[in-house]
Amino acid sequence: MTETIAASRCPDCGWVVAPPVRICPRHPVEMAPVEISGYGSVLSYTTLTATPAGFKPPLHIAVVELPGGARIFCHGKETRALKIGRRVAIEQVDGIFYFASLGIADRVSLFWKRRGAAPERTREAVKSAIKRFFSVYKNGGTTPPTENGNGTPANREESNRPSVERR
Amino acid sequence: MRDVWIAAAAMTRFGRRSETLEDLMADAALEALRETDRQPDALVVTAMDPEEFVGEGNFASHIGTYLGLSYVPALRVETATSSGAAALYAGFALIASGFHHNVLVVGGEKMTHVSTPRVSEIISRVIDPHERSYGATMPALAALVTRAALAKGLITETDMARVAVKNHANGARNPYAHFQRPVTLEGVMSSRLIADPLRLQHCCPISDGAAAVFLTADPTGLKLAGMGQGSDYLAVRYRSSLTGFRATQEAAKAAFKMAGFGPERVQVAEIHDAFAPFEVLALEDTGLFAPGKAAKAAQNGELTLEGRLPVNPSGGLKARGHALAATGVAQVVELVWQLTGRAVGRQVKATVGLAHSIGGMATNNWVTLLEQVA
Repeated sequence: MTETIAASRCPDCGWVVAPPVRICPRHPVEMAPVEISGYGSVLSYTTLTATPAGFKPPLHIAVVELPGGARIFCHGKETRALKIGRRVAIEQVDGIFYFASLGIADRVSLFWKRRGAAPERTREAVKSAIKRFFSVYKNGGTTPPTENGNGTPANREESNRPSVERR
Repeated sequence: MRDVWIAAAAMTRFGRRSETLEDLMADAALEALRETDRQPDALVVTAMDPEEFVGEGNFASHIGTYLGLSYVPALRVETATSSGAAALYAGFALIASGFHHNVLVVGGEKMTHVSTPRVSEIISRVIDPHERSYGATMPALAALVTRAALAKGLITETDMARVAVKNHANGARNPYAHFQRPVTLEGVMSSRLIADPLRLQHCCPISDGAAAVFLTADPTGLKLAGMGQGSDYLAVRYRSSLTGFRATQEAAKAAFKMAGFGPERVQVAEIHDAFAPFEVLALEDTGLFAPGKAAKAAQNGELTLEGRLPVNPSGGLKARGHALAATGVAQVVELVWQLTGRAVGRQVKATVGLAHSIGGMATNNWVTLLEQVA
């Protein structure tokens, strides 16, 4: 159930960047759209306790390298078990990248965490939840692989630090 | 290309100042003008964001008029947090090219009257918009770099704390410093987390201040021996290495090439330690230490005032403070004082000095070399 991520590929040097940009950052050449697999390895991560306006602490940020070399910034539920080099799945909810696999409850809480709820947001969250449901169903009811992220359902429930943004 | 020399240098104390930005810049500029009998025939002004911080635009003319120099052609230079070094570079180029003979460079910033979240927001605009949309702040990006450097074994958490302790010890001896008090290793390592693994005491403060340097084509004995600029992607995610800054490496190469000597001649350095681990990384990116050797040098005390290569005798951004566009100029003012025996209380023995300035998250960096020739 790996998502695909919209990216750009340079016709000259083959470099892939995400999200898509018009011109290759390496030279002034127009890039072509390409889709890449949302599964990669963690290059670095941090947890902000002092967050900018519009974000509630703690804010978990990771840089993940995807196949082809594109690197993206993403959010996550926590970084406690994260390590550099760890393989994680990237999922998009409401246009935002998240590392590790997310359950339906997580999607709902992520949806509420963002400010300014709009009807489109609700649709996005529902679509995302349905996609998740079917992917689980297709996999014969098994949960997604747990080794690809820090946030297995088990350790999320163990967390005795319910973050403020969950409600 | 003509040689460029330093005729005068001055700065205000950095810190929380009650004066206006104009008055801070005037204090530094007039002090520099008093030090030389030359008149400037060009003025290079820098403030990173006077539009947002103090609500003033057309800033070169504004400061030119305020200084009583409205008859002198003035321009404003800006490259984010390295704006001071960029202004020196512009002044250098104006003289080296033969366009002008005497150039006054003045940089300043006034921020402490604005709330800290608002200051952070304004400074955050130097970051790639996509990365900023994920909540990336300067400390966040610095934390990503630091985490990668820790994982690579380039530094340890103790090394990071040691930078802050050394720079505060130096700042305690500098009457121009924002913080003139020492901190302890334990104090740094137990200060509150800002962006894991960076703590409050690893980060430079928000400071007000101004600095000015008078450049001339007339030999004064103190030569601006080399200047280099290096650049990198605005987006941190585009870079092949998180832990080495290409912008610093390129700037250092260019500066040493222009000066005609290598890092081995440098005897004192002012390094852009906006975040403590950056001092260690910069010492390797500038070539002052071989890769993997800077942390060791710090452990051995080689970077203290009494050490083999004193680094940040002013206290650095950590203790002298970081008044954005004033910082790059203030670093050179400190080197002028060190090379001419005027760094009272923190004097080191040196004839060649290096200043290193980072713009944004190392997108537009500078290395400046000063040499006492006479």
